[in-house]
Amino acid sequence: MQDRPVATAHTAGRPAAPASAALNRRAGGLGDGLGTALLRLGFLGLILIVWTALARAAPPGLFASPLAVARAGWMMAAEGRLAPALAASLTVYLAGTGIAVVVGCALGAAMGMSRTLARTIDIYVLALAATPRVAFIPLIIVALGLGLQAKVLIVFLGAVMPVILNAYAGVRAADAELVEMAIATGAGRGRVLAHVVLPGAVPYFIAGIRIGATIGLINTIVAELYTAISGLGGLLALYGSRFRMAEYLAVVVVLALIGAGVTEALRLVEKRLLRWREAG
Amino acid sequence: MTARLTLAGVSLAFAGAPVVQGIDLSVARGEVLVILGPSGCGKTSLLRLMAGLIRPDAGQVTLSGAPPRPGEGAAMVFQSYRLLPWKTVAQNVAFALPGRPAAEREARVAEVLRLVGLARVAGSFPAALSGGMKQRVALARALAPRPDFLLMDEPFAALDAQARELMQAELLRLVGATGGPGVVFVTHSVDEALVLGDRVVVLSPRPGRIVARIDVPFPVPRWQADPHDHPAYAELRHRLWQLLRDAVLKDPASDFHRPEG
Ligand SMILES: Nc1ncnc2c1ncn2[C@@H]1O[C@H](COP(=O)(O)OP(=O)(O)OP(=O)(O)O)[C@@H](O)[C@H]1O
Ligand SMILES: [Mg+2]
Repeated sequence: MQDRPVATAHTAGRPAAPASAALNRRAGGLGDGLGTALLRLGFLGLILIVWTALARAAPPGLFASPLAVARAGWMMAAEGRLAPALAASLTVYLAGTGIAVVVGCALGAAMGMSRTLARTIDIYVLALAATPRVAFIPLIIVALGLGLQAKVLIVFLGAVMPVILNAYAGVRAADAELVEMAIATGAGRGRVLAHVVLPGAVPYFIAGIRIGATIGLINTIVAELYTAISGLGGLLALYGSRFRMAEYLAVVVVLALIGAGVTEALRLVEKRLLRWREAG
Repeated sequence: MTARLTLAGVSLAFAGAPVVQGIDLSVARGEVLVILGPSGCGKTSLLRLMAGLIRPDAGQVTLSGAPPRPGEGAAMVFQSYRLLPWKTVAQNVAFALPGRPAAEREARVAEVLRLVGLARVAGSFPAALSGGMKQRVALARALAPRPDFLLMDEPFAALDAQARELMQAELLRLVGATGGPGVVFVTHSVDEALVLGDRVVVLSPRPGRIVARIDVPFPVPRWQADPHDHPAYAELRHRLWQLLRDAVLKDPASDFHRPEG
């Protein structure tokens, strides 16, 4: 397979070589799970201290302290304002991103397998990737209205590009020596794809999904602000316009938690799928 | 009739540039043929031709009478092992046994892993193995479908000297133990050629042509008696060196210093 670099910023999320993991393990004394957890907790403390200081320094009404935000978040949850918004946003986010993962992996892999398909559509994919998705929102509203479908499409369009481009790059980067070995055992296209090309591209797929999931979350909020106001984006608009900063920041924290949760879940999936990299 | 791998008047070129020319070769099941030649003379290309991965531009390659097809009758072993890193040792071996009933496949995998002495790491991933162990897995994978021929491309070149000697003896033992497939063994090493080969062919630099065919007289089985002690060893070794050296020095494309006069 001839390798041609994919000219895009999205491939910046290329998987790190397994060797670097081994190096880190040897160099970092606190590289184990407990050490990481402690370091993270310490850093959270630091953030909270800085945040509290900033809240004290800011003019009243423009910012809120962590304690005020926690109290506001608790109240919102208790009064049932948070759960429906969270459910609405998660529906849009998971549907849009989920479809993007399936479509993006399939299309990217197909482009990597077929030179003709890649040559035909790569320019369109790249052009679409470079266009701000907000530009499509009026068109989407005209076509699909202001409801769930429009929102899911906006999330999908944002999340799918990095998935496609990374899947494409991953399949193209297939190890030609392993492919030859497989063919020499009599394997056909399907076997080569299933046992050699796709497993080898897993780090690329995950890198693409990770970026896509981030963009998908951003686009979820964009969609909720630009179409029928709803979900966590709707709460941001509501509290932002009324300068209720404690509530506003509570929503921001919830979004950050969703982002962290998704990243952590992907890390676990990656660890499971790339188990073979660990010697032993 | 014993299986036979034959090349008759085989020539191959890449983009018009000849790689090998007029190669006539024949190996029977049970024989070890060593192909010895300088870098880039087309040794790997010859193995690809024998495996049916590429077709010659002229001449014929036949395996028991028909053009070879990948996965049918011949199995390759590569210098860089080429194990699938995401599969366990057992899964790597099973990869060469598609379309068989699971029970039969598992039994065969266990059998060849026992044969190469790796039963105990069947569930390990290749990342956990040494170079010598990886090459034994590759060998097990090649032997699993009971091929008539093993096509080996400098398989031990990446191993240290000691591992290499052990693997050479191991290969000869395995070939005996598995009903004696024919072996085509590519190497740069004169010593390896003499230890392993029943016959050795020496190729010229690119485009590769056969410049010598040598029958190795050491007693069989060679893994039991070290051929290094045989009186003819030194002489034969010297002769092969001369052949290789002359071939390289006569090559107009060679960078080596030519003696004056
Ligand atoms: N697919 C290919 N396309 C173009 N040229 C090729 C291709 N494969 C091999 N060659 C060229 O053909 C020549 C012979 O290659 P081959 O790999 O068969 O030699 P070799 O004897 O195995 O070399 P080495 O000792 O380095 O392994 C080399 O000059 C190589 O550059
Ligand atoms: Mg070679």
